[in-house]
Amino acid sequence: MASIRLENIEKRWGSFTAVQRQSLDVADNEFLVLLGPSGCGKTTTMRMVAGLEQPTAGDIWIGDRRVTHDLPKDRDIAMVFQNYGLYPHMSVADNIGYPLKVRGISRGRREAEIRKAAAKVELTHLLDRRPRELSGGQRQRVALARAIIRTPRAFLMDEPLSNLDAKLRVTMRAELKHLQNELGITTIYVTHDQIEAMTLAHRVAVMNEGVVQQIAPPDQIYDRPANVFVAGFIGSPPMNLIHVKAENDLLVAENARVKMAAAMPAQDLILGVRPEDVSLCAQNEGSMRGSVFASELTGDSVLVTVQVGSQRVLAKQDRSFRIDAGAPVGLRLNENRLHLFDAETKERLP
Amino acid sequence: MPERYLKYILVLPAILIVVLTTGGPLIYSALLTVRQWRLTQSPRPGAFVGFDNFSRAFESPEFLRALGNTVLFIVLTVTLTVVLALTIALLLQRGGPLRRTVQALLILPFAMSPALVGISWRFLLNPEFGLFSVTLGKIIPSLAHVNWLATPELAFASMVAADVWAWTPFMSLILIGGLAALPQETIEAAQIDGASRWRVIKDIVIPQLVPVLSIVVILKTIFAVKAFDLIFMLTQGGPARTTETLSYFSYTTGFSYYDMGYASAAMWVMVLPMLLLTLFYTRYVLKS
Amino acid sequence: MNYSRCLSSRSSDLLVLIAACVILVPIGWIVLAAFKSNVDVFQLKLFFSPTLANFATILDPPYVIHHKLLNSAIVALVVVVVSIPIATLAAYSLSRFKLYGASFMLTAILATQFIPAVTIVLPFFLMFRSIGMLDTLLALILIHTSIVMPYAIWMIKGFIDGIPIETEEAALVDGATRLQVIRNIVLPMAAPGVITASIFSFILSWNEFMFALVLTRRDAITLPVGLALFNAETGVQWHLLAATSLIIMIPMIVLALLIQRHFVQGMTMGAVR
Repeated sequence: MASIRLENIEKRWGSFTAVQRQSLDVADNEFLVLLGPSGCGKTTTMRMVAGLEQPTAGDIWIGDRRVTHDLPKDRDIAMVFQNYGLYPHMSVADNIGYPLKVRGISRGRREAEIRKAAAKVELTHLLDRRPRELSGGQRQRVALARAIIRTPRAFLMDEPLSNLDAKLRVTMRAELKHLQNELGITTIYVTHDQIEAMTLAHRVAVMNEGVVQQIAPPDQIYDRPANVFVAGFIGSPPMNLIHVKAENDLLVAENARVKMAAAMPAQDLILGVRPEDVSLCAQNEGSMRGSVFASELTGDSVLVTVQVGSQRVLAKQDRSFRIDAGAPVGLRLNENRLHLFDAETKERLP
Repeated sequence: MPERYLKYILVLPAILIVVLTTGGPLIYSALLTVRQWRLTQSPRPGAFVGFDNFSRAFESPEFLRALGNTVLFIVLTVTLTVVLALTIALLLQRGGPLRRTVQALLILPFAMSPALVGISWRFLLNPEFGLFSVTLGKIIPSLAHVNWLATPELAFASMVAADVWAWTPFMSLILIGGLAALPQETIEAAQIDGASRWRVIKDIVIPQLVPVLSIVVILKTIFAVKAFDLIFMLTQGGPARTTETLSYFSYTTGFSYYDMGYASAAMWVMVLPMLLLTLFYTRYVLKS
Repeated sequence: MNYSRCLSSRSSDLLVLIAACVILVPIGWIVLAAFKSNVDVFQLKLFFSPTLANFATILDPPYVIHHKLLNSAIVALVVVVVSIPIATLAAYSLSRFKLYGASFMLTAILATQFIPAVTIVLPFFLMFRSIGMLDTLLALILIHTSIVMPYAIWMIKGFIDGIPIETEEAALVDGATRLQVIRNIVLPMAAPGVITASIFSFILSWNEFMFALVLTRRDAITLPVGLALFNAETGVQWHLLAATSLIIMIPMIVLALLIQRHFVQGMTMGAVR
C-alpha cells in the first residue's frame, strides 16, 4: 500500500518526446486510470513507474522510496500485461507462484498462497493446465492471480481487457473493480476505452500527445471537460462540438442561434453539447434547424444526425422515435448542459 | 492448363533432379554394401558377400576408432557450439553499434568453407610461425613451438576447435533469430515478478528457446557427421589415421584403397542414425 | 531486454570484443600472409613490406590459379542460373498450392542434404568414370545443382510464404494466368528472397570441396581443391596458399555480408517464427 509520485517526469527518444515534463500523483489505495488514444504516452508513463523504461528526466517515488533507478524487481509492484505475459512452459500454478519462487518462499507455503490467489479469481480447477489450453478470460485471471499473490505496494495494468471479447470485458471489469476494492492496493490502469475508465476509476487522467489534459473523478471529466480533446474523447456517442461565433448574448452559426444567459465579448467559440442533451422538435421551435442526415437504431435509443448548415449535430432520442432522412427538424438544447470552449486554445471558458 | 496439373508440373524438375541425383546413388551405394569390390582388381562390382563387409568393419581397429572419433567429435562440437553460440547470442542482445557490427561479422566463418577453414587452421597452428604458437608462446613460454597436430589427442582437439570456430557464429545467428521471436512480455513479467537477470535467462528465456535450441543441436550434429572437408585439410585423418571420422574413413577406404564395397558399408553404418536425426529435425521445423 | 545486466557493461563489452577478435583474427592473419614474401611468413612479423609477388606466382604454372578461378566461377554461375528458376517454380507451387504429399516432399528434399556426401560420391565417381565424364565442369555443375536445390527451395518457399496472397488473387481475378502471376507479381515481390537464395547457392557451389576433389583430375579443378595442391617437396608453400585463400575468400565474404540479414530467416523458416 503506497502512494505513487511522478515528479517532473519526462521521456524522450531522440527528438521525439513521448511524455512531456509534468508531475502526477496517485494517492494510496487510489485506482487511477490513464486514458487516451494510442501514442498519447499513457503506456510509457506506466512503464516508467514499472521500471521497464527509464525516464530521461524527473523522479519516481513509490511510497517514501525514490525508485527512479531501481530495477523492476526491487520496486515491489505487480503488473498485468495486455497479452498477459504468462510463462508458456509453466503450469498455471507455477505461473501464479513464480513471484514467490524467486523470493525463495518454500514450496509448502507457496502452494498454500497459490491456492488462495487462485480461489480469489476462481481458477482452482485449472491449476495444472498450461496457458495455451486456456481461454482468453482464463489467462487474464491467471495474470491477475499472479499479480495479487504477493500484495505488492502497487498494481500496474496495461490494457488488460483489450484482448477479450466485448461480453467478457464487461464481466471482467466488474471483477477487477471488486478485486481492487477488496485488496485496496494503489492501482495505475492504462486503457484507451473510456467506458473502462469511467466505470473503474477513482480518478481519470486523460492524456494526449504526452500531456495529461485533465485529471479528475469520472463524473467531473464527463460533466466538466477541461478542453475540447477531453470533451470529444469521453462519452459515447461523443459530444457534439459546434463552431459558433459569440454575438452579444447569442451564439451564432449557420442555421443556429443559441441564446445564452449573459452577453459575451465577440469571439470564435466551440459549443459542446452531448447528444443526450439535444432533442428534436419542430423546425421553427429550437435554437437550431436543419434536415435529418441519418437515423440509427442502437437498440436502447435512436441516434439522429442532423445537418445544420455545414455542420452535423447528433441527437439522442427515445428508442421508439422514428424519422425519415431529409425531414426538416429543429434542435432544442438543454441550456444547463452546455460547454463553451475557446476556438483558438481549445480550453474551457471559465 | 488446369491448375491441378500445373502445380505438379512446377515441382517436377526440382523433384526429378533431387531424386535422381540423390536417391539413385543412395540405392546404388546401399547395394554395394553387400558386395565385395576392389576397384584395382576389377571394373565391376564383385561377388555378393552378405554382411561380411559389416562384420569386417566392426572387427577393424581403424573402423572402430573412426566410429569412436565420430561420436566423440559430435558430442564435443555440439556441446561447445551450443553453449558458445547461446552465450554470444545473449551477449549481443544489448544492441548498440559495437554489437550490431559484430553480429554482421557472424556470417564470415560460414562464408569461408570448411576446407578453407581447415587449411587456415593448419597454418595458424604451425609450431614455428603459426599465430597460436607464437602468441601463446609469448604468454606461456613452455607452450611455444607445440606441434598442435602431432599427437592424436592434440590433433583431435585442434579439429574440434576449428570446427567449433567455423560453426558457432552461424548457430549464434539462428539463436539470435530465436531470441528476437520471444514474446517480450514474458521477460518483462518475470522482471516485475522479482527475478534477477540470471533467473530470467534460466527460468524464462532458455525454456522458451528449447525449440530453436533443438534445431541448433540437430543441425550441428548432422554437420558433425558430414564433416569431411575440414578434416581433410587440417589433419588428413592423421597422425596415422588416428583422427579419422567415419566420413573420412569411408573416403580413404574408397579412394585410397579402392575397396568400394567395404567403403560403402562403413558409410551406411551412419546412415540410419542420420535418417532418424533428419526425421526429428523436420518434425520440429514442420511442426510450426 | 538487457540480458547482460548480469555482467557489468564493461565485462559484456569485453566479451563481445573477444568474440569479434576470435572470429576476425584467423581470417585477418591469412589476409596478411597473402601479402608476405616467403621469408616473412615464416617469421610471423606484423609489420612487413607487403608484396604482390605471391599473386603473380600463383598465376604461373604449375598453379595457374586463374584457371581454377575460372572453373569455380563458371560452375557456380551456371549452377545458380539453372537451379534458381527451377527452385523458384517448385517453391511457388509448394507454397501456394495444396499438393498431395507436399510435406513429405519438402522433408525428403531437405533430408537429401543431411546424407553424408561420402555415401553418394562413390556411385557418382563410378558412373562418371564409366561414361568418361570425370574431370569435366559439366559433372560438377550437375552435382552442385543437386546440392544447392534443397536449400534454394526452402529459402525461396519461406520467403514466398511470407508474401500476402491477396495481390496474386487480385491479379487472377483480373484475368492473369498463373504463370503470368508468377512472372509479373510474385517475382518482383520475392526478389530479395530469390537473390538471397542465389547468393547462398553461389557460395555453396564456390566452396564445395568433396565432390570437386573426387570428380576432377586436372582440367576441371576448382579453387578449393586447388588449395590442396600446395604441398611441394620443400613443404607447404604457405604464402602462396594464403594468397589463394584470399582469392577464394574475398568474393564470398563480400557476398555473405550482402545477404547476412535475410539469411537466417531462410534457413530456419517457421521454426523460429
